[in-house]
Amino acid sequence: MQNLFQFLKKFRNFLLFIILQIFVLGLFINSKDFHRSQMTNTSSSLVGWFIEKRYNITKHFNLSAANDSLVAANAALKEQLPDSFYPLQGSIFYVNDTLKKQQFQYIPATVINSSNNKINNYYTLNQGSAQGIEIGMGVISDNGVIGQIIDVSEYYSIVMTVLSDDIKVNVKLAKNNEYWLLNWNGKDSEIGQIEDVKRDVPLTVGDRVITRGGDTQFPEGIAVGTIDEIVSEDGDQTISLNIKLDVNYNAVYHVYVVKNLMRQQQLEIEERILSEDQ
Amino acid sequence: MNSPWIKYSAYFVLIVLIQGLVIQNIQINEYLNPMIYPVMILLLPFELNVIATLLVALILGLSVDAFGNGFGLNASATLVIAYLRPSLLKLIKPRDGYDTTLLPTIHDMGKLWFLSYATSLLFIHHLWFFTVEIFRFDLFFLILTKTLSSVVFSLLLIVLFQYIFYKPSKK
Repeated sequence: MQNLFQFLKKFRNFLLFIILQIFVLGLFINSKDFHRSQMTNTSSSLVGWFIEKRYNITKHFNLSAANDSLVAANAALKEQLPDSFYPLQGSIFYVNDTLKKQQFQYIPATVINSSNNKINNYYTLNQGSAQGIEIGMGVISDNGVIGQIIDVSEYYSIVMTVLSDDIKVNVKLAKNNEYWLLNWNGKDSEIGQIEDVKRDVPLTVGDRVITRGGDTQFPEGIAVGTIDEIVSEDGDQTISLNIKLDVNYNAVYHVYVVKNLMRQQQLEIEERILSEDQ
Repeated sequence: MNSPWIKYSAYFVLIVLIQGLVIQNIQINEYLNPMIYPVMILLLPFELNVIATLLVALILGLSVDAFGNGFGLNASATLVIAYLRPSLLKLIKPRDGYDTTLLPTIHDMGKLWFLSYATSLLFIHHLWFFTVEIFRFDLFFLILTKTLSSVVFSLLLIVLFQYIFYKPSKK
């Protein structure tokens, strides 16, 4: 007993260090596991308040870039207005759409905090569960795919961007619907990676890559990027692709959170199949 | 007698806000991730014992973590330098020991002493930080590049911070 106390006294600094270290590393690993709901991050209200105040000051620095992207989006939308079409036939028609039902709605939000130099990168958005945002929703911008909601509080939410080691996006080749997973290796914020591509797929540098859809998060056909480089090593069964991403993740101000009205249905039916298999 | 505590608390709040609201948003490229908050641990008095240093490090780290995502990472790296600081101070002790009326600042201890002291602690801090963050051995060179480039940047910020906010202690 005496020895034990002697031992504890001698090594108390080291023991305290180890205990605290285990505690904080536990917190860190827990926060990486974004499927659990309990997290402490910038969606908490005190820090959220500070960040919102800072954003109110710094948002003016980016106004011209933000305006340019909004103007471009406006122009693209204007092209689709009825006014910009020339009527080829003067007939009267009546629309009662029984063939199509709305599947996606978009919740606009603004990025108030962001990172792009970590191994997992996040945006903080100024909209939260009060506006209908839920964990697991996809996020897109005018230029392309952004990421996935991993945490929400009442007025803020956290997006894990495509520039994350822990996130994989379902993508496909625009020209022939061959599909893969897009990954990011933590190095260059302009280049994403696709691995395990079969050698017999016809590919050329410059081919468009878009989202595949069907994963409940993104609609089909959202821009992702273009093939920048085809990396093939001798002896490997498969090749990998470097994808030049369309979105400049250092300059994203306005995003849309994708609300899939049929998500619940799809998850339920997929769950049923999985549980029958077991 | 209360004045040192008030002074250190004020520095604490100042450093956490500078780190969380300004420095964290300096994102020049993937390899630069500067940090100023280790200055709080670096400039604690010489004679402060390990347990108190560890507690300061824990609160400091968790406060900085609250401004980012990935809670606990900064705290972990700060605890490591807090634990190693007394040993390092013993290692680089001047011949006649430390004058406890002085602080380990660049003004009191001289440029050469401070730079060797700060560089070694910052290197340990950043190496631990990026290793835990990335945690992949095939990316070892990425970890090393990030560490070395960020140490240089952080060191600049920390020296600058002292010239702005610290005065030499009275002799």
